[in-house]
Amino acid sequence: MTALLDISDLKVTFNTRYGQVTALDSVSLHVNAGETLGVVGESGCGKSITALATMGLIPMPPGRIAGGSIRLADEELVGASPARMRAMRGADIAMIFQEPMTSLNPVFTVGDQIAEAIMLHQKVSADRAFKDAVALLDRVGIPSPAARARDYPHQLSGGMRQRVMIAMAVSCRPKVLIADEPTTALDVTVQAQIFDLLNEIQRDFGAAIVLITHDMGAISEMADRVAVMYAGRIVEEAHADDVLDFPQHPYARGLIDCIPALGREDHALKEIPGVVPPLHLLGAGCAFAERCEHANDRCRHEKPLLANHGHHPAACHGVEEGRI
Amino acid sequence: MTDTPDYKAESPTLEAWRMFRRNVPALAGVVILTFIVLATLYGTFFYSGDPYNVVWAPHEPPGVTPEFPLGTDYLGRDLVAGLLTGGGPTLAVGAAAAAITMVIGITLGSLAGFYGGWVDNLLMRITEFFQVLPALLFAMVLVTLFSPSLWTIAFAIGVVSWPQTARLTRAEFLKIKELEYVTAARAIGARNKRIIWKVILPNAMPPLIVSATLTIGIAILFEAGLSFLGLGDPNVMSWGLMIGANRDYILDAWWPVTFPGLAIFLTVFAVSLIGDGLNDAFNPKLRER
Amino acid sequence: MSSSFLLRRVGYGLVLMLGVVVLNFLLIRLAPGDPATVIAGEMGGATEEMLESIREEYGLNKPLIVQLGIYVGNVLRGNMGESFFFNQPVASLIAQRIGPTILLVITAQILSILIGVFLGVIAARKPNGVMSGFVSVFATIGYAVPVFWTGIMLIILFASVFPFFPAEGMQSVRLRGADVFTKTLDIAHHLVLPAFTLAIIYLAQYARLSRASMLEVLGSDYIRTARAKGAAEKTVLFKHALRNAALPILTVAGLQFGNLISGALLVETVFNWPGMGRLAFDSILRRDYPTIMGVLFFASAMVVIANILTDISYRWADPRLRGKS
Repeated sequence: MTALLDISDLKVTFNTRYGQVTALDSVSLHVNAGETLGVVGESGCGKSITALATMGLIPMPPGRIAGGSIRLADEELVGASPARMRAMRGADIAMIFQEPMTSLNPVFTVGDQIAEAIMLHQKVSADRAFKDAVALLDRVGIPSPAARARDYPHQLSGGMRQRVMIAMAVSCRPKVLIADEPTTALDVTVQAQIFDLLNEIQRDFGAAIVLITHDMGAISEMADRVAVMYAGRIVEEAHADDVLDFPQHPYARGLIDCIPALGREDHALKEIPGVVPPLHLLGAGCAFAERCEHANDRCRHEKPLLANHGHHPAACHGVEEGRI
Repeated sequence: MTDTPDYKAESPTLEAWRMFRRNVPALAGVVILTFIVLATLYGTFFYSGDPYNVVWAPHEPPGVTPEFPLGTDYLGRDLVAGLLTGGGPTLAVGAAAAAITMVIGITLGSLAGFYGGWVDNLLMRITEFFQVLPALLFAMVLVTLFSPSLWTIAFAIGVVSWPQTARLTRAEFLKIKELEYVTAARAIGARNKRIIWKVILPNAMPPLIVSATLTIGIAILFEAGLSFLGLGDPNVMSWGLMIGANRDYILDAWWPVTFPGLAIFLTVFAVSLIGDGLNDAFNPKLRER
Repeated sequence: MSSSFLLRRVGYGLVLMLGVVVLNFLLIRLAPGDPATVIAGEMGGATEEMLESIREEYGLNKPLIVQLGIYVGNVLRGNMGESFFFNQPVASLIAQRIGPTILLVITAQILSILIGVFLGVIAARKPNGVMSGFVSVFATIGYAVPVFWTGIMLIILFASVFPFFPAEGMQSVRLRGADVFTKTLDIAHHLVLPAFTLAIIYLAQYARLSRASMLEVLGSDYIRTARAKGAAEKTVLFKHALRNAALPILTVAGLQFGNLISGALLVETVFNWPGMGRLAFDSILRRDYPTIMGVLFFASAMVVIANILTDISYRWADPRLRGKS
């Protein structure tokens, strides 16, 4: 079976004032229909760049897709014409952003903004589109949707705005829905509601979801499969349960130790020491070596490749050598 | 008239100075302005001639007679002599008016921003009132009422231009007075007067220096406009006056109005290049404008 | 839009205008010399009889506060005084002149906003492109050129060297009996040079401002959302971005109005445009104070009205301000 969205060997570079940096380095991912793939990592790992590349929204220049392919339902997106990408964006592949507070245009009503998305891809009257927008608002659980559709974004709460964003994203029944940290800016209670909504939407609309997050907790609730990203590379990939229960890469272990768990009072909440290195300072070795307690000379000089060393694929010399 | 504001040996200022030194347009502005200032100050040492004297036939085109390289005006007066003597008053009034503008604007703006409450309310209402009056018209009325001289002109321009400065100063004060070092100054018992002058104002200086530079440019244009309308000091030759005096004959001779206008333009252009350079130097992050 | 907002805004405008009346009164009193002579105008060669009637009308023998009351009362009744130079009531003088000024100022405002914003938007698409460089240079030049000199240069260029447009006036004398259409066209023809002269400075400023404003807006999240929807680049620029970038432009447009009137004063003088600016110039040369004060009053009133209109349109353009007071 071929995957619905199949990214292989994707390489994205940016021209910065430090010279050319590689933001994504041979990233391969795939999502099947109806599946939820979690992409996890700290900020600056390349998760959002992967999403934007898939949407065809990498600013070029300074960005450039230097290699690889992105195939959506067997259609190549790398090198597709801008008009074709535009037709696909919002229709076949849609995206929800991190900041519901700023992701909606403040000078248009939310109903108009959803209706615009509909009219961009379907030949319907403005009237029809607005009615559809109201129905969508109802579907995403917004009370008195007809009245809310005439509200401006500033009149709605953050959770409501994120529901509006979801309504807009699913308005054309996309095959793939990319959710980039959809709950980071929201209250904890609202987060759970949004995840429930995404799950429902997936059931009803049959969309594949790519959930981008730094939060392993969100992964455990939502994802079928997980890809762990670090410094522009995939360092571990497997079924969600496998990664959560048997993390291989020290980075994945670190992320899991960051999940606050009930009844785990034996040790304080851990955090991974240090930060993601700036892309222009990446050396020849493993990008995580600086922060890894298991790193040795080989780690510092030779980039580990993603390979199955036992349980499931991970890019780590330590795992390969059985040290970890 | 100084080319660049005074720089104290503080590190942010030094850094700004370093940025400024690398800014080619701004340095070009400094060079042009220095040249114009030197020419108006000392030009008559090297090029003698009375701008009021009728020395040749009227409307002698430029480049024809070597003694009068830029030609003569409608009366047969030498244009080079006019340009060299006419710049002084324009520059002096521009600088004086900018100084008056800054003094009024900074005083009222800092009081409004620092004290807030009814003081702010009252001063801002006054500011709004002055912004309702079309500046040039109001300046014309003032100059006519108090009979034109270089001082009344500078004063009139200052009286009509301060609201912008006041608003800017007030905004800076509102921002800075909330910062920790102001609270710290209060905590050690500094008096209001000291906080305004020694703590807040020095930190509000960068945008005010930029604004002062641009104000000089606007004041020069104002002076030129008033002189052009014949409302300048009648006893003083100025660039604006040269244009005004010759404007009835523009269809016969383009040069008597073109050169003084170019002189005004170059001066203000240089000043605004310097202003933009200072702005970039003080706000390295706001290069995109 | 709440009506209480409108009421308050108009009320405040009226207070400002009352302030202008009081200022006018103070200016005449502050001027050196006998106020009666000031009012009659130094060029008037007023007789003792005339001065006496002025003292009577303005109550100049009464206490200052009563004089102020009389002056304000007169203005409220629409009596702006009598111009001794033009031998006409000031109010009717201004009534004849205000139309051309409004025509000139509004045309220049529209021209400068339309062209300036268009240039700014184009420039913002490529922050380091040729157009961006052009806009910055043009803005600095536009700021530095004396407006009256621009006018003269345009006359030399487009009325003398290439005689496309008339050099002065608002109407051709020979068209006195022509039909409305021909007359309108004639006025438009006369309007081209003065309107562009006035527009150039502000055009440059709007271009620079809208470029900066667009650059800021284009970096915002909702622009990314619009692109993610599949909106075309033109829609993103002119619908999603410009509607937001227009807000600071609107503010500046309102603030600029006073400067525009100041500029109109010089432009009208250069082009002999029969408006209030030209009237101000003529009356100032003759020291015709009642007319000068009348012009100052009406010019300020235009600024006040422009400010109120700006506030209203700002509330209309920014939904975040609607319904708030």
